[in-house]
Amino acid sequence: MGLLSNILLAPFLGPIYGTKWTLDKVDRVVREQLTDDTPIKEDLMALQMQLEMGEIDDAEYVRREAEIMQRLRDVRDWREKLGMSTSGGPVRVAEDETE
Amino acid sequence: MASGDSTAEKMEPLPPESAGEGKYVYCIIRLDRSRDFGEIGIGGGARVYTVNYKDLAAIVSDTPIVIYDPTRENVLAHEFVNETVMREFTLIPMSFGTVFRSEKDVGALLKSTYQAFTDVLEKMQDKIEFGLKVLWDRDKVVAAIEQDNDEIRRLKDEITRNAASSTYFARMQLGRLVEAAMEEASNRYVADVHDQLKDVSVASRSNKVIGDRMILNAAFLVDRKAEKAFDERVKAVSRQYEDLLTFKYTGPWPPYNFVNIKLKLEKAT
Repeated sequence: MGLLSNILLAPFLGPIYGTKWTLDKVDRVVREQLTDDTPIKEDLMALQMQLEMGEIDDAEYVRREAEIMQRLRDVRDWREKLGMSTSGGPVRVAEDETE
Repeated sequence: MASGDSTAEKMEPLPPESAGEGKYVYCIIRLDRSRDFGEIGIGGGARVYTVNYKDLAAIVSDTPIVIYDPTRENVLAHEFVNETVMREFTLIPMSFGTVFRSEKDVGALLKSTYQAFTDVLEKMQDKIEFGLKVLWDRDKVVAAIEQDNDEIRRLKDEITRNAASSTYFARMQLGRLVEAAMEEASNRYVADVHDQLKDVSVASRSNKVIGDRMILNAAFLVDRKAEKAFDERVKAVSRQYEDLLTFKYTGPWPPYNFVNIKLKLEKAT
């Protein structure tokens, strides 16, 4: 009976396991995208380069800089929500170093 | 440094914490007395001064406890303070946006990291950093490659001559050859620039290139005494390549790319 039920149920089990696995993976990818500010910082550097090379004017720079700052803030919010470390904000020497 | 103990007594008692005020830290220098650098700080010209511990000083200004966005205005303010301090001192730059809750916390940083700061300041004594970005003009480089590379030139002629009948394969092959030749050219330029700057710099570091026109994004550590020699060499190299490459040369900077002290910091509540 075991073998038969496995075979019979396989089409149902398959996609369900598959979906769960995919969701886990999607979840991980989404989390990484939400909490990684490296590409945002790269965008900021690229934007500065464009300004330096005269490819964009000052007004355009200011507008796009504001967008990038918002994205950085969003990442910071997500990191806080997910209990990850964030850059910026007040710091102090870690306790075990001073005591 | 053995001088540490003798200066310990000079440390004045810390003033009471100013209410709600944090300290923005720009950099660490060696200095055994207090010093005022004027109203040049981040957040609209806050007064910049020192927090001292033994013969080390943190360069700080008062700030509300906030997170500073790395906007151009803020980054320039941070940078301007470091530039000002750098005219007289060797410094260890802090990351942009480093805020401590109180002067006492800054003192604790200097105390706990005293040895590492002292060692690095010693190593960085009279060293400055220059940034060099090299960008190329793709069209000009492709033209230069077509000039020099017989195989590419022949294939290209063939394709233009038989525009209608030239095969997809021939075009693909041309594309591949040009790509490979460009990568080879890029590596050759970059190696040559590094080579020519080697004996006028102490160290160099390549960072990730930004955008599709950049082929080199490097930082060079240079002895202050060799600043002029380095400067002249960069200008000579950029003249040599002026038809093909654009050189973006910045500095002097604090040694951002050559100081790597991992500070054990945690979020202050």
